[in-house]
Amino acid sequence: MTVEFLYPALANLYGEAVEMKYIEQCLPDATVVKTKVNDEPYFAKNDVDFIYMGPMTERGQEIVIEKLSPYKERIIELIEAGKVFLIIGNALEIFGDYIETDEGEKIKALGIFGTYAKRKMMKRYNSLYFGKFDEMKIVGFKAQFSHSYGESEDEGLFENIRGDGLHPGSRFEGIRRNNFFATYLLGPLLILNPDFTKYLLSLLGIENAALPCENDIRTAYEKRLKEFENPNKEYLG
Amino acid sequence: MKKTPRFLFALFLAKIALITQRILKMNASYFPGKLAITLCPDFLGRIDKPETIIGVTGTNGKTTCCNLIIDALTDLGYDVLNNRFGSNINAGVASSLISGSTLFGKAKKEIAVFEIDERSSVRIYPYVKPTFLLCTNLFRDSIRRNAHSEYILDIISKYVPETTKLVLNADDLVSSRIAPGNERVYFGIERMETDLPESINIVNDMRLCPVCNSELKYDFVRYHHIGRAHCPNCSFSSPKPDYLAKADFENLTLTMTRGLESTQFKLINDSIFNAYNLTAVVALLEQFGIEAKKLSDILSNQKIVETRFSEEKIGDIEVISNMAKGQNPIACSCVFDYVKRAEGTKEVILLLDDVHDNAASSENICWIYDADFEFLGDESIKRIIIGGVRAIDYKVRLEIAGVDESKIICIDKESDTPDAVRWDADKIYVLHELYRNDEALAVRDEIKRRLRERTGGNA
Ligand SMILES: [Zn+2]
Repeated sequence: MTVEFLYPALANLYGEAVEMKYIEQCLPDATVVKTKVNDEPYFAKNDVDFIYMGPMTERGQEIVIEKLSPYKERIIELIEAGKVFLIIGNALEIFGDYIETDEGEKIKALGIFGTYAKRKMMKRYNSLYFGKFDEMKIVGFKAQFSHSYGESEDEGLFENIRGDGLHPGSRFEGIRRNNFFATYLLGPLLILNPDFTKYLLSLLGIENAALPCENDIRTAYEKRLKEFENPNKEYLG
Repeated sequence: MKKTPRFLFALFLAKIALITQRILKMNASYFPGKLAITLCPDFLGRIDKPETIIGVTGTNGKTTCCNLIIDALTDLGYDVLNNRFGSNINAGVASSLISGSTLFGKAKKEIAVFEIDERSSVRIYPYVKPTFLLCTNLFRDSIRRNAHSEYILDIISKYVPETTKLVLNADDLVSSRIAPGNERVYFGIERMETDLPESINIVNDMRLCPVCNSELKYDFVRYHHIGRAHCPNCSFSSPKPDYLAKADFENLTLTMTRGLESTQFKLINDSIFNAYNLTAVVALLEQFGIEAKKLSDILSNQKIVETRFSEEKIGDIEVISNMAKGQNPIACSCVFDYVKRAEGTKEVILLLDDVHDNAASSENICWIYDADFEFLGDESIKRIIIGGVRAIDYKVRLEIAGVDESKIICIDKESDTPDAVRWDADKIYVLHELYRNDEALAVRDEIKRRLRERTGGNA
């Protein structure tokens, strides 16, 4: 199995460097390719099973859009072929149509999904998020400058229970098409949500594997779930 | 800006608030300024300022640097207005200016030293224009407030006045890039034996050349992105320091060289952060007009505030408390590294939960994945006792870091953590979050009490 981490030197904000480390711990037999910013992505000419990309700076987004633009068709092909993608934080915006800045400038993105993002650099948005993926309960954190709009409802990833999805007022958080999963949720997602992680691993052909430190991860998950389900807990702030 | 009736009214009420709070022995360092700004939004622009303003900003070390600067200037006979006991956002600076002004808004003092929160640049610099601004460093900090270091770099660069002379860290490739058009001097610390060829930290926010995105080549790394680097592909590199210090941790001295002159300072401990703080302060005060050799005695007598760091040996065991700012992954990583490098075996107590979040919400813990808990896996650490609501999250973090599960003990209530101490190591560390001082110091004191009991007396 081959896993590609896209631009880990740049796309690693908000604890996501250890999400990558955890993915490696979950997939001890996989070949992991860590693509450098000035190198051609490994997926361009090779078969990959799982592509991960984490959150980055706003300048980082522009660099990555430029680097990935030549491979747009290949990315679509991989999504259609059911390859697994996990795209975290504002990396999600790179796959949308454009990112609108505070000054009203529209930075053209890959245009694979019809969404667009609006940035407000002096208005940081912080919240808890509680949602559903099939019958699985999903928990996560949000800390971001932007929201995404223009989503199509049949491509929503998590159904909101509490907390805002892609934008305040949306019914869903994240984007899903086949096995392409993109979400603003931080956590790291796979460490916070053991059931979702198991589901993701099953898509990679690994059934019923025990997760690294699963017992404690599950205890932490149950505890957090209780807090997130508590109506007295503040979500925004 | 003119002193409008509205301004004078705001100042008058703020003065009354200040005096009332002082009479009631309340902390008057925030509310009067807040009130004044609410009543007169451009209050900071209208109040007279001391002629010379020294600003100190940066992710880590700004409070220590501010204290050093204020103490040194006071020792030299200057009467310094400052916000050291107060808030470092606009309301804090305003409160300080209110206390230092007459009823008509005239400044009573000639010098001010202000600690300035990085994000508050937006609300402070349009009105309060520092003569000198020292930036200690810029790192990842609170994810919720500060996002990432480039964000803070951009904010300071955008708002710092063009006339402000910058005193910057040459060994920090983020903060050394603040406002490239401004006049500046750089300070740095010479290569040391403990420097590394590349970063071992999880977080290094300067891996890529900001000009051409090539991977930077580090000449050496001290911690995170602190070190010196160059781009193999273009001309970008770390700036050359104007003030170069040599830190000698064996003899606890810091030798500062500028041009042909060298001056020696005493270091209070072997912490690199302390060495940087001292270097930064000497560079700043030299720029202000005080020769380094005049500072040698004054700055060699510095003390560390006890709530941030303390150590005491009772019998054979040393009890050490150290603040490790929660939500600030770099400060935590540095403390963990320091604990790892310390001699002897250790038991470590972690009290890092966010006080506010536990009560009202659920803490966003993703910052712990930016902190190097890996350092706590060192074999010299026999036990890690975690206290607080989020203990299980820290346990997971430590396990992913490769720490042996059997070494980790989770305890719900902070005050119960001394029960898990087994007294079988040379040192007991209490690492605590800033806003958990009282609880943490109570834990520390309880450990000391039990230790005295064990050693059978008043050792
Ligand atoms: Zn370059």
